[in-house]
Amino acid sequence: MKFYNLFKKELKDMFNMQTILTMVGIVALLMVVGNIFSDSVSESAKKSGDIVICDMDKTDFTKSVIAELKKVTEDNDGTLTEVEIKSEDYSKELKRIDQKQVVIIPEGFTELVSQHKTAKITFVQRMTSLAMMSNLNTGSANTFETFSAAVKSTIYAQKLSENKITEEEIKQLEDPVELEEMTVIGSKQEEISSSLIMSICTSQNMVVPIILFVLIMFASQMILNAISTEKIDKTLETLLSAPVSRISVLAAKTLSAALVAGVQAAAFMFGTSQMTSGMTGGLGLDSDKFTKALENLGLTLSIPQYILVGIQMFLSILIALCVALILGVLAKDAKSAQTLLMPITISTMIPYFLSMMADISTLPVILRYIVYAIPFSHTFMATENVMFSNMTLYVGGLIYQVIFLAVCMKVALSIFMSDKIFTMSLGEKKTKNKKAKNA
Amino acid sequence: MENVLEVKGLGKQYVPGVYASKDVTFSIAKGEIFALIGPNGAGKTTTIRTIATLLKTTEGDALVSGHSILTEPEEVRKCITYLPDEAGAYKNMTGKGYLEFMASIYAETGEQALEYFRTGCEICELGDRLNDKISSYSRGMTRKLLLARAIMPKPDLAILDEPTSGLDILNAIEIRKTIKDLAAEGMSFLLSSHNMLEIEYVSDRVGIIAKGMLLETGKPEELIEKYEARNLEEVFEKVVKLREIL
Repeated sequence: MKFYNLFKKELKDMFNMQTILTMVGIVALLMVVGNIFSDSVSESAKKSGDIVICDMDKTDFTKSVIAELKKVTEDNDGTLTEVEIKSEDYSKELKRIDQKQVVIIPEGFTELVSQHKTAKITFVQRMTSLAMMSNLNTGSANTFETFSAAVKSTIYAQKLSENKITEEEIKQLEDPVELEEMTVIGSKQEEISSSLIMSICTSQNMVVPIILFVLIMFASQMILNAISTEKIDKTLETLLSAPVSRISVLAAKTLSAALVAGVQAAAFMFGTSQMTSGMTGGLGLDSDKFTKALENLGLTLSIPQYILVGIQMFLSILIALCVALILGVLAKDAKSAQTLLMPITISTMIPYFLSMMADISTLPVILRYIVYAIPFSHTFMATENVMFSNMTLYVGGLIYQVIFLAVCMKVALSIFMSDKIFTMSLGEKKTKNKKAKNA
Repeated sequence: MENVLEVKGLGKQYVPGVYASKDVTFSIAKGEIFALIGPNGAGKTTTIRTIATLLKTTEGDALVSGHSILTEPEEVRKCITYLPDEAGAYKNMTGKGYLEFMASIYAETGEQALEYFRTGCEICELGDRLNDKISSYSRGMTRKLLLARAIMPKPDLAILDEPTSGLDILNAIEIRKTIKDLAAEGMSFLLSSHNMLEIEYVSDRVGIIAKGMLLETGKPEELIEKYEARNLEEVFEKVVKLREIL
């Protein structure tokens, strides 16, 4: 009985309205994210059976292969679109034909097949984002498999009609086609697989969001704790009645929180970069060649680009500090101080996950603007915006962050410079109004 | 006699139309101990916080050593120290570290800071425990440390809200004695307490406050005589009842 009562008391204490609201909030958030991704995934799944092909060889054999390919894609509820590629500037060509990817059968393909040699096809893929969902359909492997099967089937059909097949031809049928991959980003193109870029860039590009997430959470928790603890312990009253200006107290707290968060972020960045380089090394890639290809595609940041990302990162930290400062003032005890961190946690988590999973600029309009309204979103998108030259989005985000910061700073300052620093707290308004009414 | 504090018609409304304190007027002379007494929610802490420049007054003004809390709050803060009720200290610091830090905040020079620090160490009488973290202190020890912090810069006016709360009888007696000794040296005190017996013993004059209004001021013995009471508690009861009747 004693245990039951103790258990009941603890449960009641822990399973309070704040816990329930947090739980409901997170479930709702996950459901919304799930719905968004379900749309993207089904869209990608629909497109995964589609093949866009350009026949530059134009022989009876390639026509037969395409006819076979058409049959297979249609069986898989996909479509086969034949296009014309007029130059080797694939960036321009993909834009002209309004496609994200194309399989090119080069000239001389049939000749190589007839010589029982392995013939090459080129798979060109245009990347517009590094988000996972945006690149679900980097289907070079699928396309290659389907194409190989179509080539094999065509050769078989021919040989069966001729009623003879040699040893050489049997060997050829094991591996009839070789895949050459091209990736296009913006106006640049490189002979590299987009799947490979994705697998490496995903781990590399996780670094900035993770650091930013850690920075925002550490910095806001520190300042929130600093303010709320001082308020709860009444050390703030002692300090603010001493011959020291309120601005100095505020600046010292903010600066130290930013500095400690910065040091933590640097340590985190070092650890993560070590982890990433370990992962890249583990893939057994020719790192120089790979780095060069990434550089040519603009997927590595130059110093000015690092500065641009850094500016937005700094703005996000300042915004988080100002918001945490305002929230810290509302705390009336240690428990409420922890709960008050929730709005910052959620508004950091939403863009953190979304930016990794989806290309935010392609989300449904209302949702997109909700995400844009979260000031941290722009920093999570900064690396990609800079890499893919979406400067309008970058500059717009920067202006919004500056305005948001100015408003937050004004509110934080007005609270800190007024009585509100001592009189404001969560749930107090109701009590005060009640008291006033009674009086 | 020279007044260290002059409070003139001080009032504070947190919500428009609802007064936490109203038309509070009193003064404290150099070396005088003045105590505000009243029940919880009477307006003692609001009045004290307003004089300590933590809250902005909505009516009236107060002069501390000639400086207005409205127009010269920075100057006022140089002349006062404030000890809030149930205040804590920085738990991660040692007692010494805390006194050193606070001395550096109050002092103008390094020498002055050292002098304040030495005085603080002497007043708090914590001995070797000053080297320990404040988180390991008992409530009484923390209070003694905080009192030492409030007294060590020897301000013109020390504002102490419930100075002996949380202290055992012996420590409370010691603190009262220290306050009296420092007042004799010329330091003025504004105290607040529910403990009428303590106030009767330590204060030169008292102000009875209820529902935000200062109802009566005077020397404890004069008030006891005026209201034909046995002690300050009875005076308080009679003043409040009389006011309600009026």
